[in-house]
Amino acid sequence: MTARAAAELEHLKKLMLKDAWPYWVGGILLGLLNIIIFIYMASPWGVTTTFVFWGAWIYELFGGHPETWSFFTMQAPMMQTLKGGLLNHGGSIINIGLIVGAFLATAAASQFKIKKIKSSRQLVAALVGGLMMGYGSRLAFGCNVGAYFSGVSSMSLHGWVFGIFIFIGAYLGSKLVVKYLM
Amino acid sequence: MAEFTIDALGEACPIPLLKAQKKCKEIQVGDVVIMNIDHSCALKNVPEWARKEGYNVEVEEVEEGVWDIYIEKTA
Amino acid sequence: MSETPVTSMIRKRPQTTIKKKSQIGYTIAALVVVVAVGMFLAQTKILLSIIWFIGITLGVVLQKSRFCFTASLRDPILTGSTTLTRATLIAFAVATVGFAALQFTTILKGGPITGNVSPVGVHTAIGAVIFGIGMVISGGCASGTLMRMGEGFTMQWVSIITFILGSVLGAIHFGWWTENFFNAAPKIYLPQTLGWAGSFFGQLAVLALLYVIATWYEYRKAN
Repeated sequence: MTARAAAELEHLKKLMLKDAWPYWVGGILLGLLNIIIFIYMASPWGVTTTFVFWGAWIYELFGGHPETWSFFTMQAPMMQTLKGGLLNHGGSIINIGLIVGAFLATAAASQFKIKKIKSSRQLVAALVGGLMMGYGSRLAFGCNVGAYFSGVSSMSLHGWVFGIFIFIGAYLGSKLVVKYLM
Repeated sequence: MAEFTIDALGEACPIPLLKAQKKCKEIQVGDVVIMNIDHSCALKNVPEWARKEGYNVEVEEVEEGVWDIYIEKTA
Repeated sequence: MSETPVTSMIRKRPQTTIKKKSQIGYTIAALVVVVAVGMFLAQTKILLSIIWFIGITLGVVLQKSRFCFTASLRDPILTGSTTLTRATLIAFAVATVGFAALQFTTILKGGPITGNVSPVGVHTAIGAVIFGIGMVISGGCASGTLMRMGEGFTMQWVSIITFILGSVLGAIHFGWWTENFFNAAPKIYLPQTLGWAGSFFGQLAVLALLYVIATWYEYRKAN
Protein backbone atom coordinates (compact mmCIF):
# COMPACT_ATOMS: atom_id res chain seq x y z
CA MET A 1 0.00 0.00 0.00
CA THR A 2 1.36 3.39 -0.92
CA ALA A 3 1.91 6.05 1.68
CA ARG A 4 -0.87 8.08 0.11
CA ALA A 5 -3.34 5.18 0.30
CA ALA A 6 -2.36 4.48 3.88
CA ALA A 7 -2.98 8.10 4.79
CA GLU A 8 -6.38 8.02 3.07
CA LEU A 9 -7.30 4.88 4.99
CA GLU A 10 -6.28 6.46 8.28
CA HIS A 11 -8.38 9.50 7.44
CA LEU A 12 -11.40 7.37 6.58
CA LYS A 13 -11.01 5.33 9.76
CA LYS A 14 -10.92 8.53 11.73
CA LEU A 15 -14.02 9.91 10.05
CA MET A 16 -16.02 6.76 10.58
CA LEU A 17 -14.82 5.63 13.95
CA LYS A 18 -13.48 8.60 15.79
CA ASP A 19 -15.22 11.76 14.67
CA ALA A 20 -18.72 12.62 15.71
CA TRP A 21 -21.43 12.64 13.06
CA PRO A 22 -23.43 15.82 12.40
CA TYR A 23 -26.67 16.16 14.35
CA TRP A 24 -28.79 16.23 11.21
CA VAL A 25 -27.39 12.87 10.12
CA GLY A 26 -28.44 11.47 13.48
CA GLY A 27 -31.85 13.03 13.00
CA ILE A 28 -32.46 11.37 9.64
CA LEU A 29 -31.16 8.00 10.86
CA LEU A 30 -33.30 8.09 14.01
CA GLY A 31 -36.36 8.92 11.92
CA LEU A 32 -35.66 5.93 9.68
CA LEU A 33 -34.93 3.67 12.66
CA ASN A 34 -38.24 4.58 14.30
CA ILE A 35 -40.05 3.61 11.09
CA ILE A 36 -38.17 0.29 11.05
CA ILE A 37 -39.12 -0.30 14.69
CA PHE A 38 -42.77 0.47 13.93
CA ILE A 39 -42.66 -2.13 11.16
CA TYR A 40 -40.95 -4.86 13.18
CA MET A 41 -42.51 -4.30 16.57
CA ALA A 42 -46.00 -3.29 15.40
CA SER A 43 -45.68 -0.09 17.40
CA PRO A 44 -43.19 2.78 17.39
CA TRP A 45 -40.06 3.22 19.49
CA GLY A 46 -40.61 3.58 23.21
CA VAL A 47 -38.21 3.34 26.11
CA THR A 48 -39.96 3.78 29.43
CA THR A 49 -42.75 1.17 29.46
CA THR A 50 -39.90 -1.35 29.55
CA PHE A 51 -38.77 0.15 32.87
CA VAL A 52 -42.08 -0.87 34.44
CA PHE A 53 -41.36 -4.45 33.41
CA TRP A 54 -37.78 -4.30 34.67
CA GLY A 55 -39.07 -3.08 38.02
CA ALA A 56 -41.72 -5.79 38.07
CA TRP A 57 -39.27 -8.60 37.28
CA ILE A 58 -36.77 -7.33 39.86
CA TYR A 59 -39.60 -7.18 42.42
CA GLU A 60 -40.47 -10.76 41.49
CA LEU A 61 -36.89 -11.83 42.13
CA PHE A 62 -37.31 -10.59 45.68
CA GLY A 63 -40.53 -12.57 46.12
CA GLY A 64 -42.93 -9.78 45.21
CA HIS A 65 -46.15 -10.06 43.20
CA PRO A 66 -46.22 -7.37 40.52
CA GLU A 67 -49.14 -9.07 38.81
CA THR A 68 -51.32 -7.40 41.47
CA TRP A 69 -50.41 -3.92 40.22
CA SER A 70 -53.30 -2.17 38.49
CA PHE A 71 -51.04 -1.48 35.49
CA PHE A 72 -51.17 -5.21 34.77
CA THR A 73 -54.56 -6.20 36.13
CA MET A 74 -56.23 -3.49 34.05
CA GLN A 75 -54.27 -4.11 30.84
CA ALA A 76 -54.33 -7.68 29.54
CA PRO A 77 -51.58 -7.26 26.89
CA MET A 78 -49.26 -5.87 29.57
CA MET A 79 -50.04 -8.81 31.85
CA GLN A 80 -49.23 -11.19 29.02
CA THR A 81 -45.87 -9.50 28.45
CA LEU A 82 -45.15 -9.68 32.16
CA LYS A 83 -45.72 -13.42 32.16
CA GLY A 84 -43.50 -13.80 29.10
CA GLY A 85 -40.35 -12.74 30.86
CA LEU A 86 -37.32 -10.64 29.91
CA LEU A 87 -35.92 -12.76 27.09
CA ASN A 88 -39.19 -12.61 25.16
CA HIS A 89 -39.58 -8.87 25.61
CA GLY A 90 -38.68 -6.79 22.58
CA GLY A 91 -38.68 -3.59 24.60
CA SER A 92 -36.06 -4.96 26.98
CA ILE A 93 -33.92 -6.28 24.17
CA ILE A 94 -33.98 -2.98 22.32
CA ASN A 95 -33.11 -1.00 25.47
CA ILE A 96 -30.21 -3.26 26.40
CA GLY A 97 -29.07 -3.20 22.77
CA LEU A 98 -28.99 0.57 22.95
CA ILE A 99 -26.68 0.52 25.96
CA VAL A 100 -24.36 -2.00 24.31
CA GLY A 101 -24.42 -0.10 21.01
CA ALA A 102 -23.44 3.12 22.72
CA PHE A 103 -20.59 1.31 24.47
CA LEU A 104 -19.47 -0.23 21.19
CA ALA A 105 -19.39 3.15 19.45
CA THR A 106 -17.48 4.78 22.30
CA ALA A 107 -14.94 1.96 22.51
CA ALA A 108 -14.44 1.89 18.74
CA ALA A 109 -13.41 5.54 18.97
CA SER A 110 -11.20 4.72 21.96
CA GLN A 111 -13.13 7.29 23.96
CA PHE A 112 -14.52 5.09 26.71
CA LYS A 113 -13.92 6.30 30.24
CA ILE A 114 -15.80 5.70 33.45
CA LYS A 115 -17.04 9.05 34.71
CA LYS A 116 -17.57 8.99 38.45
CA ILE A 117 -20.05 11.18 40.27
CA LYS A 118 -18.32 14.32 41.43
CA SER A 119 -20.43 15.59 44.33
CA SER A 120 -23.32 14.69 46.59
CA ARG A 121 -25.42 17.32 44.80
CA GLN A 122 -24.91 15.46 41.53
CA LEU A 123 -25.93 12.24 43.25
CA VAL A 124 -29.13 13.79 44.59
CA ALA A 125 -29.87 15.30 41.18
CA ALA A 126 -29.47 11.88 39.52
CA LEU A 127 -31.73 10.18 42.08
CA VAL A 128 -34.44 12.82 42.08
CA GLY A 129 -34.28 13.35 38.33
CA GLY A 130 -34.63 9.64 37.65
CA LEU A 131 -37.63 9.35 39.94
CA MET A 132 -39.33 12.29 38.23
CA MET A 133 -38.71 10.87 34.78
CA GLY A 134 -40.08 7.49 35.84
CA TYR A 135 -43.31 8.83 37.31
CA GLY A 136 -43.76 11.57 34.71
CA SER A 137 -43.50 9.13 31.83
CA ARG A 138 -46.24 6.98 33.35
CA LEU A 139 -48.61 9.96 33.54
CA ALA A 140 -47.89 11.11 30.03
CA PHE A 141 -47.97 7.64 28.46
CA GLY A 142 -44.34 7.90 27.44
CA CYS A 143 -41.12 9.87 27.50
CA ASN A 144 -39.13 11.97 25.06
CA VAL A 145 -39.15 8.95 22.77
CA GLY A 146 -42.53 7.28 23.22
CA ALA A 147 -44.72 10.31 23.82
CA TYR A 148 -42.75 13.07 22.11
CA PHE A 149 -40.87 11.53 19.17
CA SER A 150 -43.23 8.63 18.47
CA GLY A 151 -46.39 10.42 19.58
CA VAL A 152 -45.87 13.43 17.35
CA SER A 153 -44.77 11.23 14.45
CA SER A 154 -47.97 9.20 14.91
CA MET A 155 -49.96 12.41 14.45
CA SER A 156 -51.35 12.14 17.96
CA LEU A 157 -52.33 15.27 19.83
CA HIS A 158 -50.84 13.92 23.07
CA GLY A 159 -47.41 14.08 21.45
CA TRP A 160 -47.69 17.77 20.65
CA VAL A 161 -49.07 18.56 24.10
CA PHE A 162 -46.22 16.58 25.61
CA GLY A 163 -43.77 18.55 23.51
CA ILE A 164 -45.02 21.91 24.74
CA PHE A 165 -44.90 20.87 28.38
CA ILE A 166 -41.60 18.99 28.31
CA PHE A 167 -40.16 22.23 26.96
CA ILE A 168 -41.56 24.07 29.98
CA GLY A 169 -40.18 21.36 32.25
CA ALA A 170 -36.75 21.65 30.63
CA TYR A 171 -36.86 25.40 31.25
CA LEU A 172 -37.66 24.91 34.93
CA GLY A 173 -35.02 22.22 35.20
CA SER A 174 -32.42 24.54 33.69
CA LYS A 175 -33.19 27.17 36.31
CA LEU A 176 -32.57 24.56 39.00
CA VAL A 177 -29.32 23.43 37.41
CA VAL A 178 -27.93 26.96 37.19
CA LYS A 179 -29.00 27.74 40.73
CA TYR A 180 -27.93 24.58 42.53
CA LEU A 181 -25.56 22.57 40.40
CA MET A 182 -23.10 25.05 38.95
CA MET B 1 -2.30 37.01 26.93
CA ALA B 2 -3.63 35.36 30.05
CA GLU B 3 -4.37 31.66 30.37
CA PHE B 4 -7.25 30.27 32.42
CA THR B 5 -7.86 26.59 33.07
CA ILE B 6 -11.27 25.22 33.93
CA ASP B 7 -11.55 21.70 35.26
CA ALA B 8 -14.90 20.40 34.07
CA LEU B 9 -14.10 16.71 34.44
CA GLY B 10 -17.08 14.74 35.72
CA GLU B 11 -19.52 17.58 35.20
CA ALA B 12 -22.88 16.71 33.69
CA CYS B 13 -24.42 18.46 30.72
CA PRO B 14 -24.77 21.42 30.42
CA ILE B 15 -22.34 22.55 33.05
CA PRO B 16 -19.17 22.60 30.89
CA LEU B 17 -20.79 24.84 28.30
CA LEU B 18 -22.25 27.14 30.94
CA LYS B 19 -18.83 27.45 32.60
CA ALA B 20 -17.18 28.17 29.27
CA GLN B 21 -19.72 30.84 28.45
CA LYS B 22 -19.37 32.46 31.85
CA LYS B 23 -15.57 32.52 31.74
CA CYS B 24 -15.38 33.83 28.19
CA LYS B 25 -17.57 36.73 29.17
CA GLU B 26 -15.18 37.71 31.96
CA ILE B 27 -11.84 37.49 30.15
CA GLN B 28 -10.11 39.96 27.84
CA VAL B 29 -9.61 39.72 24.13
CA GLY B 30 -6.51 37.65 23.46
CA ASP B 31 -6.93 35.56 26.61
CA VAL B 32 -7.20 31.81 26.34
CA VAL B 33 -9.43 29.44 28.27
CA ILE B 34 -8.39 25.81 28.54
CA MET B 35 -11.22 23.51 29.50
CA ASN B 36 -10.70 19.91 30.60
CA ILE B 37 -13.69 17.75 29.81
CA ASP B 38 -14.66 14.10 29.62
CA HIS B 39 -18.22 14.51 28.38
CA SER B 40 -18.91 13.68 24.73
CA CYS B 41 -21.73 16.24 24.58
CA ALA B 42 -19.44 19.02 25.75
CA LEU B 43 -16.86 17.90 23.20
CA LYS B 44 -19.36 18.92 20.56
CA ASN B 45 -21.35 21.79 22.01
CA VAL B 46 -18.54 23.81 23.57
CA PRO B 47 -16.44 24.18 20.39
CA GLU B 48 -19.62 24.70 18.37
CA TRP B 49 -20.68 27.58 20.59
CA ALA B 50 -17.20 29.08 20.73
CA ARG B 51 -16.77 28.98 16.96
CA LYS B 52 -20.17 30.57 16.50
CA GLU B 53 -18.96 33.42 18.70
CA GLY B 54 -15.99 33.76 16.36
CA TYR B 55 -13.38 32.50 18.82
CA ASN B 56 -10.39 30.37 17.88
CA VAL B 57 -10.90 26.83 19.06
CA GLU B 58 -8.59 23.84 19.19
CA VAL B 59 -9.39 20.48 20.69
CA GLU B 60 -6.80 18.04 21.87
CA GLU B 61 -7.40 14.54 23.10
CA VAL B 62 -5.38 14.08 26.26
CA GLU B 63 -6.22 10.43 26.84
CA GLU B 64 -9.12 8.05 26.23
CA GLY B 65 -12.29 10.04 26.73
CA VAL B 66 -10.56 13.16 28.06
CA TRP B 67 -10.06 16.33 26.06
CA ASP B 68 -8.67 19.82 26.43
CA ILE B 69 -10.56 22.53 24.60
CA TYR B 70 -8.57 25.67 23.94
CA ILE B 71 -10.65 28.78 23.36
CA GLU B 72 -9.03 32.05 22.39
CA LYS B 73 -11.22 35.10 22.78
CA THR B 74 -10.76 37.02 19.57
CA ALA B 75 -13.32 39.77 19.88
CA MET C 1 -3.83 26.18 8.56
CA SER C 2 -2.28 29.39 9.82
CA GLU C 3 -0.84 29.35 13.27
CA THR C 4 -3.00 31.01 15.88
CA PRO C 5 -1.87 31.71 19.43
CA VAL C 6 -3.86 28.66 20.45
CA THR C 7 -2.21 26.24 18.04
CA SER C 8 1.21 27.53 18.99
CA MET C 9 0.26 27.04 22.62
CA ILE C 10 -0.53 23.41 21.95
CA ARG C 11 2.64 22.93 20.00
CA LYS C 12 4.77 24.35 22.76
CA ARG C 13 3.06 22.31 25.50
CA PRO C 14 5.25 19.51 26.85
CA GLN C 15 3.93 16.29 25.39
CA THR C 16 2.37 14.49 28.33
CA THR C 17 3.61 10.97 28.54
CA ILE C 18 0.13 9.44 28.99
CA LYS C 19 0.24 6.77 26.36
CA LYS C 20 -3.00 6.71 24.45
CA LYS C 21 -4.10 3.14 24.16
CA SER C 22 -6.48 2.06 21.48
CA GLN C 23 -9.53 0.42 23.00
CA ILE C 24 -9.61 -2.25 20.36
CA GLY C 25 -9.88 -4.88 23.10
CA TYR C 26 -13.13 -3.43 24.44
CA THR C 27 -14.42 -3.01 20.91
CA ILE C 28 -13.80 -6.61 19.97
CA ALA C 29 -15.31 -7.83 23.23
CA ALA C 30 -18.40 -5.72 22.57
CA LEU C 31 -18.69 -7.06 19.01
CA VAL C 32 -18.45 -10.62 20.28
CA VAL C 33 -21.27 -9.93 22.74
CA VAL C 34 -23.37 -8.30 20.01
CA VAL C 35 -23.01 -11.26 17.66
CA ALA C 36 -23.36 -13.91 20.39
CA VAL C 37 -26.55 -12.40 21.81
CA GLY C 38 -27.89 -11.93 18.30
CA MET C 39 -27.32 -15.59 17.50
CA PHE C 40 -28.72 -16.73 20.85
CA LEU C 41 -31.92 -14.74 20.37
CA ALA C 42 -32.29 -15.96 16.79
CA GLN C 43 -32.77 -19.44 18.18
CA THR C 44 -35.89 -18.39 20.06
CA LYS C 45 -37.32 -16.05 17.46
CA ILE C 46 -35.62 -14.32 14.54
CA LEU C 47 -37.63 -11.19 15.29
CA LEU C 48 -35.94 -10.81 18.67
CA SER C 49 -32.56 -10.98 16.99
CA ILE C 50 -33.59 -8.25 14.55
CA ILE C 51 -34.81 -6.10 17.43
CA TRP C 52 -31.46 -6.60 19.18
CA PHE C 53 -29.56 -5.33 16.15
CA ILE C 54 -31.94 -2.38 15.83
CA GLY C 55 -31.18 -1.55 19.46
CA ILE C 56 -27.44 -1.76 18.83
CA THR C 57 -27.86 0.57 15.86
CA LEU C 58 -29.84 3.04 17.96
CA GLY C 59 -27.05 3.12 20.50
CA VAL C 60 -24.39 3.63 17.85
CA VAL C 61 -26.34 6.40 16.07
CA LEU C 62 -27.19 8.24 19.28
CA GLN C 63 -23.62 8.09 20.55
CA LYS C 64 -21.86 8.93 17.32
CA SER C 65 -24.07 11.90 16.56
CA ARG C 66 -24.08 12.97 20.24
CA PHE C 67 -27.84 13.18 19.84
CA CYS C 68 -29.57 14.56 22.91
CA PHE C 69 -33.29 15.28 23.17
CA THR C 70 -32.65 16.94 26.51
CA ALA C 71 -30.32 19.44 24.90
CA SER C 72 -32.75 19.98 22.00
CA LEU C 73 -35.32 21.24 24.49
CA ARG C 74 -32.99 22.89 26.98
CA ASP C 75 -30.40 24.66 24.85
CA PRO C 76 -32.62 27.15 23.01
CA ILE C 77 -33.21 28.93 26.30
CA LEU C 78 -30.03 28.03 28.15
CA THR C 79 -27.38 28.59 25.50
CA GLY C 80 -29.22 29.97 22.51
CA SER C 81 -28.39 27.00 20.34
CA THR C 82 -30.98 25.21 18.22
CA THR C 83 -28.84 22.83 16.16
CA LEU C 84 -30.11 19.79 18.08
CA THR C 85 -33.65 21.13 18.10
CA ARG C 86 -33.55 21.35 14.33
CA ALA C 87 -32.14 17.82 14.10
CA THR C 88 -35.08 16.50 16.15
CA LEU C 89 -37.48 18.28 13.80
CA ILE C 90 -35.81 16.47 10.91
CA ALA C 91 -36.23 13.16 12.76
CA PHE C 92 -39.91 13.94 13.37
CA ALA C 93 -40.50 14.83 9.74
CA VAL C 94 -38.85 11.66 8.44
CA ALA C 95 -40.77 9.48 10.91
CA THR C 96 -44.07 11.28 10.21
CA VAL C 97 -43.83 10.32 6.55
CA GLY C 98 -43.05 6.67 7.26
CA PHE C 99 -45.60 6.38 10.06
CA ALA C 100 -48.35 7.94 7.99
CA ALA C 101 -47.70 5.45 5.21
CA LEU C 102 -47.90 2.55 7.69
CA GLN C 103 -51.00 3.89 9.42
CA PHE C 104 -52.74 4.71 6.18
CA THR C 105 -52.21 1.25 4.68
CA THR C 106 -53.49 -0.41 7.87
CA ILE C 107 -56.59 1.77 7.98
CA LEU C 108 -57.26 1.24 4.29
CA LYS C 109 -57.29 -2.52 4.93
CA GLY C 110 -59.94 -1.95 7.58
CA GLY C 111 -57.55 -2.12 10.50
CA PRO C 112 -57.37 0.08 13.60
CA ILE C 113 -55.33 3.22 14.14
CA THR C 114 -51.79 2.12 14.87
CA GLY C 115 -48.92 4.09 16.35
CA ASN C 116 -48.61 5.89 19.65
CA VAL C 117 -51.97 7.60 20.09
CA SER C 118 -52.65 8.01 23.80
CA PRO C 119 -55.24 9.75 25.98
CA VAL C 120 -54.50 13.46 26.18
CA GLY C 121 -55.41 15.62 29.14
CA VAL C 122 -54.06 17.48 32.11
CA HIS C 123 -52.09 14.37 33.10
CA THR C 124 -50.09 14.75 29.85
CA ALA C 125 -49.07 18.25 30.83
CA ILE C 126 -48.24 17.31 34.41
CA GLY C 127 -46.29 14.23 33.35
CA ALA C 128 -44.36 16.12 30.69
CA VAL C 129 -43.37 18.95 33.01
CA ILE C 130 -42.19 16.54 35.67
CA PHE C 131 -40.31 14.53 33.05
CA GLY C 132 -38.74 17.66 31.61
CA ILE C 133 -37.44 18.85 34.96
CA GLY C 134 -36.16 15.36 35.77
CA MET C 135 -34.28 14.90 32.53
CA VAL C 136 -32.46 18.19 32.79
CA ILE C 137 -31.38 17.79 36.40
CA SER C 138 -30.29 14.19 35.94
CA GLY C 139 -28.35 14.99 32.77
CA GLY C 140 -30.22 12.74 30.39
CA CYS C 141 -33.66 11.81 29.11
CA ALA C 142 -34.86 8.23 28.59
CA SER C 143 -32.76 7.43 25.51
CA GLY C 144 -29.98 9.66 26.82
CA THR C 145 -29.81 7.76 30.09
CA LEU C 146 -29.40 4.44 28.30
CA MET C 147 -26.81 5.91 25.93
CA ARG C 148 -24.79 7.40 28.75
CA MET C 149 -24.90 4.15 30.70
CA GLY C 150 -23.09 2.64 27.74
CA GLU C 151 -20.62 5.54 27.67
CA GLY C 152 -19.60 4.95 31.27
CA PHE C 153 -21.38 7.73 33.16
CA THR C 154 -22.00 6.41 36.65
CA MET C 155 -24.52 9.21 37.20
CA GLN C 156 -26.83 7.52 34.73
CA TRP C 157 -26.29 4.11 36.32
CA VAL C 158 -27.68 5.78 39.44
CA SER C 159 -30.58 7.62 37.82
CA ILE C 160 -31.78 4.45 36.06
CA ILE C 161 -32.45 2.94 39.49
CA THR C 162 -34.88 5.67 40.51
CA PHE C 163 -36.14 5.88 36.93
CA ILE C 164 -37.29 2.27 37.30
CA LEU C 165 -38.61 2.97 40.80
CA GLY C 166 -40.62 5.97 39.59
CA SER C 167 -42.03 3.89 36.74
CA VAL C 168 -43.06 1.18 39.21
CA LEU C 169 -44.80 3.73 41.44
CA GLY C 170 -46.60 5.06 38.40
CA ALA C 171 -47.65 1.54 37.46
CA ILE C 172 -48.99 0.88 40.97
CA HIS C 173 -50.94 4.15 40.82
CA PHE C 174 -52.15 3.41 37.32
CA GLY C 175 -55.62 2.47 38.57
CA TRP C 176 -56.08 5.75 40.43
CA TRP C 177 -54.94 7.86 37.49
CA THR C 178 -57.10 5.85 35.11
CA GLU C 179 -60.27 6.36 37.16
CA ASN C 180 -59.64 10.04 37.81
CA PHE C 181 -57.97 11.18 34.61
CA PHE C 182 -57.29 8.66 31.84
CA ASN C 183 -60.85 7.35 31.44
CA ALA C 184 -62.19 10.83 30.77
CA ALA C 185 -59.35 11.72 28.40
CA PRO C 186 -59.78 11.30 24.65
CA LYS C 187 -57.27 9.83 22.25
CA ILE C 188 -57.02 12.40 19.52
CA TYR C 189 -55.68 11.16 16.21
CA LEU C 190 -55.25 14.31 14.15
CA PRO C 191 -56.48 12.91 10.81
CA GLN C 192 -59.81 12.17 12.49
CA THR C 193 -60.31 15.84 13.32
CA LEU C 194 -58.37 17.60 10.59
CA GLY C 195 -58.61 15.06 7.80
CA TRP C 196 -55.72 13.16 6.28
CA ALA C 197 -54.37 15.85 3.98
CA GLY C 198 -54.82 18.55 6.58
CA SER C 199 -53.04 16.63 9.32
CA PHE C 200 -50.25 15.16 7.24
CA PHE C 201 -49.30 18.23 5.27
CA GLY C 202 -50.25 20.47 8.15
CA GLN C 203 -47.92 18.64 10.51
CA LEU C 204 -45.05 18.72 8.02
CA ALA C 205 -45.70 22.40 7.46
CA VAL C 206 -45.64 23.11 11.19
CA LEU C 207 -42.39 21.15 11.55
CA ALA C 208 -40.91 23.13 8.67
CA LEU C 209 -42.06 26.38 10.20
CA LEU C 210 -40.56 25.46 13.56
CA TYR C 211 -37.33 24.65 11.72
CA VAL C 212 -37.26 28.10 10.15
CA ILE C 213 -37.99 29.78 13.46
CA ALA C 214 -35.27 27.74 15.17
CA THR C 215 -32.74 28.74 12.51
CA TRP C 216 -33.66 32.40 12.75
CA TYR C 217 -33.50 32.22 16.54
CA GLU C 218 -29.99 30.84 16.59
CA TYR C 219 -28.53 33.31 14.13
CA ARG C 220 -30.39 36.48 14.99
CA LYS C 221 -27.85 37.51 17.62
CA ALA C 222 -24.88 36.93 15.36
CA ASN C 223 -24.44 40.51 14.22
